Amino acid sequence: MSPASLDEELVAAAQGGSTEAFSRLVERHQQALRGFLRRACGDWATADDLAQETFLAAWSRIGRLRAGASVRAWLCGIGYNKHLTAARSAGRERARAQRYEEDRPMASEARHEDRLALEAAMAELPAEQRACVALCLAADFSHAEAAEALDMPLGTVKSHISRGRARLMQALGVCDD
Amino acid sequence: MTEADNRLKSLFALDEPPPRDAVFSTAVMEKVMRRRFQEDVALLSVASVAGGGALWAVWPTLQPALVAVSQGLAPALGALALAACAAVILGGRARTALGLEA
Repeated sequence: MSPASLDEELVAAAQGGSTEAFSRLVERHQQALRGFLRRACGDWATADDLAQETFLAAWSRIGRLRAGASVRAWLCGIGYNKHLTAARSAGRERARAQRYEEDRPMASEARHEDRLALEAAMAELPAEQRACVALCLAADFSHAEAAEALDMPLGTVKSHISRGRARLMQALGVCDD
Repeated sequence: MTEADNRLKSLFALDEPPPRDAVFSTAVMEKVMRRRFQEDVALLSVASVAGGGALWAVWPTLQPALVAVSQGLAPALGALALAACAAVILGGRARTALGLEA
């Protein structure tokens, strides 16, 4: 069974009230959603909180998900809106994020520096550009899928990715041929 | 995909969550079950209040009718209640005795 048809089957069961099916959807899509939110928000603790809120909202709205729609794009869309709402409200808990940051696995020194440079460059990007980059360059979303998830025109997604990519490459000091 | 893209992707991959995370999934499902329980309780509360209100509204009409009917039907209702209790208590054993269940 293909991943898409398995998703469709699980969505149909969850729409019928099966928490077991929904639990499998959580298992299958938590990595994509959390990865996207980590890159879109910049801190892991907030991203995981938002991912949990996203799944909770998804449970309430699962009846509205049309047959054949991409589940991961739908989830990332809900997560992105939650991220924008959270970013607008001031005073998020920074101490917890700091603690979470300390638990992150350390890479080699050079790699660690690259990663810090990437994070700093991502933080500089406008929210929409950052979300497009997080989906298409980091998570292998197609441009069309990202456009669906972020509710943006395809052309806008493409231009955000192109500009965002150029700025990230510049920040990493990569000569892009 | 260029080498620059590969480098970018490998850096992004450092932030990738694990493909399976039981702690995260359990936390989500706990919240989902709590939400479901709250919704069930809210629904039952509303239904109880609505039922109580409806009964209160029709009680003046219903009461005389119930009194009149109950005198005639009391023996039959009593027998039915007794039969229902017996069926619930002996249900499994009776079916076994009749060979309907292993």
